[in-house]
Amino acid sequence: MIPLFEHARQLELTQAEEEILDYFIRHPKSASYMSLQELSRQLYTSGATIVRFCQKLGLGGFNDFKYQLRRELQEARQTVFQSDDYIKRSIALFKDNLVSMDLDSLEQIAALLTSKRPLYIYGGNLSSLPAHYLQMVLNSLDYPSILVEWERLLGALVNTVGDDAVLLILSAHGNDRYLPTFQTAMERGLTTILFTCEPDSPLIPYSTIAVCTNDVNREYRGVDVNTRIGFFTVIQILIEMAVRNKESAET
Amino acid sequence: MINLPLSDETIQSLSRHELNVLKYVYEHTESVLDLSIRELSERVSYSPATVLRFCKKLGYSGFAEFKYALRAARRESGGQEAAPSPRPGRSSDLMIDLLSSNIQATAGLIQEEQLLRTFRFFDSPMPIYIWSPGGITDTTGEYLERLLLSTGRQSVYRIESARLFSHLINTVGKDSLMVLISTSGTFGNTIRIGKLAQMKGLPILSITPYTSNEIADLSTVSFRFFTDQRENLGAEYTSRLPIFFTIHTIIQCYIRYREERESRREGGSHDSTV
Repeated sequence: MIPLFEHARQLELTQAEEEILDYFIRHPKSASYMSLQELSRQLYTSGATIVRFCQKLGLGGFNDFKYQLRRELQEARQTVFQSDDYIKRSIALFKDNLVSMDLDSLEQIAALLTSKRPLYIYGGNLSSLPAHYLQMVLNSLDYPSILVEWERLLGALVNTVGDDAVLLILSAHGNDRYLPTFQTAMERGLTTILFTCEPDSPLIPYSTIAVCTNDVNREYRGVDVNTRIGFFTVIQILIEMAVRNKESAET
Repeated sequence: MINLPLSDETIQSLSRHELNVLKYVYEHTESVLDLSIRELSERVSYSPATVLRFCKKLGYSGFAEFKYALRAARRESGGQEAAPSPRPGRSSDLMIDLLSSNIQATAGLIQEEQLLRTFRFFDSPMPIYIWSPGGITDTTGEYLERLLLSTGRQSVYRIESARLFSHLINTVGKDSLMVLISTSGTFGNTIRIGKLAQMKGLPILSITPYTSNEIADLSTVSFRFFTDQRENLGAEYTSRLPIFFTIHTIIQCYIRYREERESRREGGSHDSTV
């Protein structure tokens, strides 16, 4: 049996998930080319259950699962460096990320970005790049904002900004070092938007709107190499929405 | 959106008109399938001969075979799509589709051979100079710089001044890689630097749009991407997402490539077979 199924066998699964797994084990080849809808019809279960099952396996979603399945089926035959596979995987993850986005909260965020309320964008370390990108493009669209790259400055700002300020904070790890900042913001009734890729981040309950991408916090030789492409994707969607808001405000 | 077997070489062989045909086909794959060559040529306002030449350059005998390949490619990618329940009547869906198709088309342009040549540069000790042209594109250069440093690659320098960069080109040894990223492919400073570097015989790695452009022509390794050029009264805000995606893919593949090589060096592959 391929490692993916072996791994799944060791997990605690609900009955519905057992049935999904059984189906995959019996029809690995055809399942790896089915769409989510087809499969949910076959199994009389919802697409969400299937996606949850895939995520339980530590994968980004159904596309990523199919990709992994195909790869392992192929690997059962050979093992060589195949960049095509990695590229396909990148796309599968990219699509999963798009599908899992909640457009309504993104619309809410886009409305805040284009509301002319004072906007502060924070991103530390590698997250400062998507933050910087958003800030520069918003500038081009005549929505000025302030980029904050220092953690301590953010801690100070949260006490001094006006009550109508909007804070957009990008934190891939979403760990508790920003907790005091978020707590203060909440006490003051400030609007905070959090981008993270940790679905269990302790910051989520303290943020007004939270967006979770499927980037993976991985390290290579002890250094953070999460490329945060999911952050960039969300930001690009927000930019497109901001463009549309701007155009509709002008006409 | 479909992925046609396009290489950088094929793209370079296309004329400006033919590139416009390609763009139209990418953006309207579905409707193109039902068109005759005459109808398509009317839509793109070029002669049927141009469309035919376009098909031939892509390696097909004619328009019919091209459509056949399109259909086959669509069937293939159709099986992969998760087909999320469509949320009808929302312009955001259209926008997300376009965004997604630009990324998929961009990924379709990345070839293993290009990656391996890039990795040879990354593996060598030669210094890497990344040109920062100013404006939003700077973020992409910084992204590449920081990610390269994160993978443990030393001697990566990002230069923000055109004069300093010209100075460097004149003084560094032949074993230096110049990285040029351009969102439009037409920025004067970047072209000038590319020409200087080529004159000095320095290798160039570039990331430029799929339209024909001088920077790509000057490059040793050239990555291409799909995007739509846009601006707001002179302030441009063209999407850089395809560039970020290209860099993301290069770095992810590089890390995997190194991990695989390291595990092989440790004796035996760790990949489990059934």
